[in-house]
Amino acid sequence: MHDGAPGDEAVFDIIASDIVETVPSALIILDRNLIITSANGVFYQMFRTSRGETEGCHIFELGNRQWDIPALHTLLETVIPNRASVEKFEVVHDFPTIGRRTMLVNARKINRRGKYDGSILLAIEDVSDERAARDESKRNWQLSQSIVDTIRDPLVVLEFDMTIVMASKAFLTMFGSTAAKTRGRRISELGQHQWNVPALRHLMEKVLPENKPIENFEIEDDFPGLGRRVFNLNARKILQPGNHAHRMLLVFEDITDRKQRERDAKALTNEISHRIKNNLQIVAGLIAHEVRSTATPSIQGYRAMQARIGAIADLYDLISQSSRGETIAVDAYLREIAKTMSASLLGSTSRITIEVKAEALDIDSDRAVPFGLLVNELATNAIKHAFPGGTGRVVLSVEKIGDQIELTVADDGVGMKDKDAAKLPEKRGSDYVAIFVRQLGGTLAASRSEGTGTVVRIRLPLLLVPPEGAEPIAA
Amino acid sequence: MAVILIVEDDVFIRETAELVIRDSGHQILSAGDVEEALLILRSPQHIDALFTDIYLKKAVLGGCDLAREAINLRPELRVLYTTGNFITDAVKALFVEGTHCLPKPYTDYQLQASIEGMLTV
Repeated sequence: MHDGAPGDEAVFDIIASDIVETVPSALIILDRNLIITSANGVFYQMFRTSRGETEGCHIFELGNRQWDIPALHTLLETVIPNRASVEKFEVVHDFPTIGRRTMLVNARKINRRGKYDGSILLAIEDVSDERAARDESKRNWQLSQSIVDTIRDPLVVLEFDMTIVMASKAFLTMFGSTAAKTRGRRISELGQHQWNVPALRHLMEKVLPENKPIENFEIEDDFPGLGRRVFNLNARKILQPGNHAHRMLLVFEDITDRKQRERDAKALTNEISHRIKNNLQIVAGLIAHEVRSTATPSIQGYRAMQARIGAIADLYDLISQSSRGETIAVDAYLREIAKTMSASLLGSTSRITIEVKAEALDIDSDRAVPFGLLVNELATNAIKHAFPGGTGRVVLSVEKIGDQIELTVADDGVGMKDKDAAKLPEKRGSDYVAIFVRQLGGTLAASRSEGTGTVVRIRLPLLLVPPEGAEPIAA
Repeated sequence: MAVILIVEDDVFIRETAELVIRDSGHQILSAGDVEEALLILRSPQHIDALFTDIYLKKAVLGGCDLAREAINLRPELRVLYTTGNFITDAVKALFVEGTHCLPKPYTDYQLQASIEGMLTV
């Protein structure tokens, strides 16, 4: 650093020069007149200068007065004369050579007899990159918070241990809390512990390690200040490229009103369904009364009529249970029809079975009645004609073929003889099958004996729609 | 021959059911709501079985409540429910143990079979 000093000072200088060249900070020594007496390599490197340009120069004159910084004036002319040392004095300055820099300056006045007495040691740490990163992180945080705050649904960001890192304004407003009260707390501890549900906790524990999102987890509870509410919870892992932090986003959708509308609609549907089925019971009673008061009643006709009424009644059961509202699940509808027909036409001791093979398709409720009655007629025909021995199997199936639907009613019975050809459904324009097929805008694709039985195939236009979430079928 | 109490708020449905059950050789008592049925159940009248609609006038689950009260009054009573509504598991949970429900619309044959089934349990 400074050589040429004799005795102890020379030894001290040797040790000191080793130290100053080893520390990562830029070091300079100023004499009492603020003339630079020495600097270390880090200083020259950091400020792109040299020993020749530096030593012997007044600090404020150094490098075309680029060190003539008001903050440094304050430090050296006002603070240091009154204090022995100053730590982390922040100086921000635009240097013509190295650009804008943020520096932390530690200053120490040397009070020792000898040539250094009254000198000032300055240790300068360039924290520009660290500050820039901190500012960037702060800006990112503010940006995230502003994005989060613009989202209408309340949401929180959770740490891997389920503590809250960030809560949106909507969350704080809805649950009457503050950022300070929520940050760092576990989600299960909030409010009156409404979110402390084992099933939810179990799902949340899988979000981060297994990257398994939570979709539409419903919680209904009494919330302080809000009353009875239903929330739909969705959670997913937040992906942060290059960052190993494990956080998840948990969004609370208030579905109370929607849920209430669904419940009202369901109650109304149930009420209507109940009335319709009571009316169908009256119709069944009227038919039964007619049969009783007729001298030679057609028991077969009576039972066929009851089965038709049953097919309509089944539909209302399904409508009242369907969450889809406008549509009915075909597979469930066919199974109900099969069950009702077995009960009304076959009885528990029958050796004739009715099976259902149906794709997951929906039928719009407007056309569900003629569809159900069509299936009922075809299956009744099979039961009536195919099994003189009283044993057999009827299969009801529905599958999508292109943009059409094929309804098949097949039996493994005796098949149709030539003389029965005149009784083929398509030949009997006035019977119910033909009427229902016409009503549905369909065609009888084939109706023939196959193997030992009979297969009736009916092609229907797009009266069926795919279930919710499935690919739509082009009309 | 058994004595069966029919509880049904729709007069036509009740009377046609009465005809069918009478035709099977049973004796009938009838009521149009829960209160009327309880009056009969609290009387000294001999009753073997209760055949009740679930939705009775404004009481959505009136038949379920009635059957429970009826069993309290007469533990040996047999019970058969009927309803025009879909029978959910929640409703089934309200049934008196070991009982069944005949969904509407039912045929004469189904009603007779259900009544006989209930009486032979």
